[in-house]
Amino acid sequence: MNYAMALDYQNCINCKACEVACKEENGVQLGAEKQRIWVGMVEGTIFGKPFANIYPSQCNHCLDAPCVSVCPTKASHYVLGGIVKVNAKQCILCKGCLEACPYDARFIDDTKVAVDKCTFCDHRFAETGTTACQATCPTKVRTFGDLDEENSDLVVLLKTRRFFFQKESIGTLPKLFYLLPEDEAYAKQSVAHSTNIYTWKDIKPLYDQARNKRSKEWRR
Amino acid sequence: MRVDISRRRFLQGSVALVVLGGTSLSGINLFADAKRAVKGPFNKKVPTLCEMCVNKCAAIAHVRDGIVRKLEPNPYFPKSRNMLCARGVAGIHALYDPDRLKYPLIRVGERGDGKYRKATWDEAYAYIKEKMVKILDEEKDNRSCIGYCAGEGLGEHTYKTFMADKFGSSNFLNHSTICLQTAVSGFALTIGAYGQADLENAKYVIMAGANRAEAILTPDTMDLFKRTRGRGVKLIVVDPRYTNTAMHADSHIAIKPGTDLAFVLALTYVVIKGQLYNKTYVENNFHDFDKYKQHIIDGNYTPEWAEKITGIPSPTICKVAHDFMVAAPQAIYYQGRRTTWAKNDFQLRRAMALFSALGGGIDVKGGIVFGKKIALGEHATNAPLYANAQQRVDKDAAAVVGATGSWVAWRNLVAEGKTAYPVRGMFVYKQNPMLSVPDSAKTRKMFEKMDLVVVIDTMPSDTAMLADVILPECTYLEREDPVQSFAGVEPAIALRQKVIEPMYETKPVIDIMRGLSETLAKPLWEITKKYDEDVQSEMETRGEEEVYTEDGFDLTEPFKHSQEEINKEMVVSKHGEAAWALLREKGVYYPEMQASFKKINNNNYEWYAKNKKAYTVLDLEEEVDREAFATEFCESCESCVDPADVAAWKRTFSTPNKKIECFLGSMAAKGVDPMPTWRDADYVRVPAGKFKFITGRHAQFTQTATVNNVMLLELMRENYAWINDQEAQKLEIKFGDLVEITSSVGTIRIKAFPTPKIIAETIFYIHGFGSTSEGMTFAHRNGASDNEIIEGNIEPVFGSAIMHDTLVTVKKV
Repeated sequence: MNYAMALDYQNCINCKACEVACKEENGVQLGAEKQRIWVGMVEGTIFGKPFANIYPSQCNHCLDAPCVSVCPTKASHYVLGGIVKVNAKQCILCKGCLEACPYDARFIDDTKVAVDKCTFCDHRFAETGTTACQATCPTKVRTFGDLDEENSDLVVLLKTRRFFFQKESIGTLPKLFYLLPEDEAYAKQSVAHSTNIYTWKDIKPLYDQARNKRSKEWRR
Repeated sequence: MRVDISRRRFLQGSVALVVLGGTSLSGINLFADAKRAVKGPFNKKVPTLCEMCVNKCAAIAHVRDGIVRKLEPNPYFPKSRNMLCARGVAGIHALYDPDRLKYPLIRVGERGDGKYRKATWDEAYAYIKEKMVKILDEEKDNRSCIGYCAGEGLGEHTYKTFMADKFGSSNFLNHSTICLQTAVSGFALTIGAYGQADLENAKYVIMAGANRAEAILTPDTMDLFKRTRGRGVKLIVVDPRYTNTAMHADSHIAIKPGTDLAFVLALTYVVIKGQLYNKTYVENNFHDFDKYKQHIIDGNYTPEWAEKITGIPSPTICKVAHDFMVAAPQAIYYQGRRTTWAKNDFQLRRAMALFSALGGGIDVKGGIVFGKKIALGEHATNAPLYANAQQRVDKDAAAVVGATGSWVAWRNLVAEGKTAYPVRGMFVYKQNPMLSVPDSAKTRKMFEKMDLVVVIDTMPSDTAMLADVILPECTYLEREDPVQSFAGVEPAIALRQKVIEPMYETKPVIDIMRGLSETLAKPLWEITKKYDEDVQSEMETRGEEEVYTEDGFDLTEPFKHSQEEINKEMVVSKHGEAAWALLREKGVYYPEMQASFKKINNNNYEWYAKNKKAYTVLDLEEEVDREAFATEFCESCESCVDPADVAAWKRTFSTPNKKIECFLGSMAAKGVDPMPTWRDADYVRVPAGKFKFITGRHAQFTQTATVNNVMLLELMRENYAWINDQEAQKLEIKFGDLVEITSSVGTIRIKAFPTPKIIAETIFYIHGFGSTSEGMTFAHRNGASDNEIIEGNIEPVFGSAIMHDTLVTVKKV
């Protein structure tokens, strides 16, 4: 088991159904700054004409997660499938993980008095197969699944598409797979020159290796 | 820890929790573990229909401990494509909004000062009865002296059954003339119906003004954005703003507001002059094409002419026209909704329909299709005739004033005291005209003139604050609504079922109508007997009792049965008991649903097999054609058929000549241009130093109805005024600066958003904000209301409110 998510971000219309579904599903604290998931937007002009790119995002559940390594109380930990979670009772709000996370995917939940973050909806996917954000999405940006299961929606999809990662160079082995748009012009507009593009064949051995290395820490 | 509680205590606890839920939802987690195991009325999943906007998406409400915890998409409904948007998911906060109207209220202060006392339903009904009897007695049983309006929704018909069919007022207003009247009628009078854009199969779409990423429409939004950017459909967005829809477009064309008709006429000129249109389709299916052809050529609507008006370079116009016809018939000039931007809007919609038709893209897969509708039984009402009920007051306000009137014209006549007879009362259901009708000051004036204003709503809206009596409706999650059949390529019947019992003292509209009818039936009958000579003479021969019951004067008659009973009858009479059971279990029903509904993966479902979809449904002209046609559409040979050939078949359209109508002779008789014509005099130019104000929709808010939703307010707290960044620089306006925007009818203050995403000389902000009702804790004075500054003008054909022709000045405060 190695849970991950693919994002066909070119489908995203920035409607924020996912943000709301996440908050409702998980009882995330109200407040615009309290987000387990979010829709990022980059906009500007090219030769005077406006453009905008949208990147829906959330915790990458990195295979080599610095937020887990840095936690002094083991509040930040892996559960089965490599999902990174926080045990609110153990959290001492030192905020080390907030600093360590390259994706700014963590925040402080004042009602829990602890750091909070995306859990890939691990309380519901056994029953539904989906996270709340995927299930509700009007244009079906997200595909959640198990990288170790050949027939999962996720692996089936990744085998047919090329993809990239956000801030890959930091080396945390993130698990949000951003699907490269087939349309070349749009791909050029929304992906940096220096971004590495991968296929399933490229990435599979790398991610298997990383999983083997740290999965001893994965616990129930 | 094991917690044992008796059934009775559990029940008490749950009721307390429900009330608690009204104020703090997320804090409730008391004995959650103990109850997770409990099955029954407090722990269930109920399929229902969303009412956070007009789309009616299928949802499944998850209830635990009697509290609605989560709303999930219901995959069975083809129209909503297994999704719930931000508003749909946030519906829980409409249910548990602490500001909800909780019990009937009767005004104790001056109108508009917001002072009310809590009343019982009986007190509220009695208050209404007393006023109604007095008004109707003084107006000699002219039922139309009480006006009424309703917002769009499944309950609208129930309300109308009482107000129109039984009570007998002709003065009805709904959203049509502040929304899509011109588009619906423009398309209907030209191609027979508004139709549905088949965005699952279209290859080229011009979306002008419509904004499907931010004004979500099912299934259009879902179908379109999975196919943009080289994945099957070329999307051309024509809009003064760079919207989230434009972001997905192959080409965004910035256009000056109010000039769309010039753009379409130029496109038409290019294809007619260059003979690029589908000649067989036109020959077979157009009526009076020669007149239109001549009209376009004589009008000299060249791209060069259009460039000067629209600001769009003529080569761009030529390219769009060519590309469209290359993709045709799978090419659509998208119809759009919430239209009426300028005075010529009806002509614009006609021109758009004709342009799509020139490519053959009407009633063909990938074009504008008409779909099918699954039949439902009827719930009949015996409507009485009132001899003294007058015709609507706005009947001469425009060339064609329909049963839903002209909101702005009606309001103006009443406010200015220019009606043929006094309109002394107003019932308002699920509409908020104070914020939704242009020129709010005048709407206020209208309400202030009324002797009786009754508002039925879930929230203390700005309009509710002008009411004498406020009747609290329950939200959509607390009631069963009339079952509805949804037409389309993949038609289905869907049902809004009650998820939990109504909270506080709220009631569904059918119960409110039942209560009103029981209170009013006899007292109003006395007035009819006094003034209605027809009734008097009937009574002489047939006796009072018989006339009262058999001629429909018993107002209670349509409300004898519960909504559940009525729905059951409507479904069972056409589809049988099994269909009814399936509909209740799944929330959706269509013939052979169980066999054809398939899950492909977690994101994708199939509702109808490809060859079962209702792409083409109209009768063809000849019997022979029909057979050939059916063969052409069989799935196996689909790939070998040129869609242009399919489009060429002769069809029968639902228009007077059974063809696509180029020339509307009947309209000409009413002083309306029979063919789309550009009139310079109608175009509002922007003088130096002024701006044209435009408005629009937003993916996280539905008009004025969701502005108090705490979850949605997290996504956007208030609206901002978009202003072109270069112009803003000249005026020294920076992001977040407070600006004052003034038109001839009002002044508002709002924060500025300077951006390159809007063309010069134009100001935009989103509709729906700027509530001044103090009952709306979270919405109160967030941003500004567009209708404070939009002038109350109408277009001449249907009396629809012109939304984008108001000139404003902007200054930094």
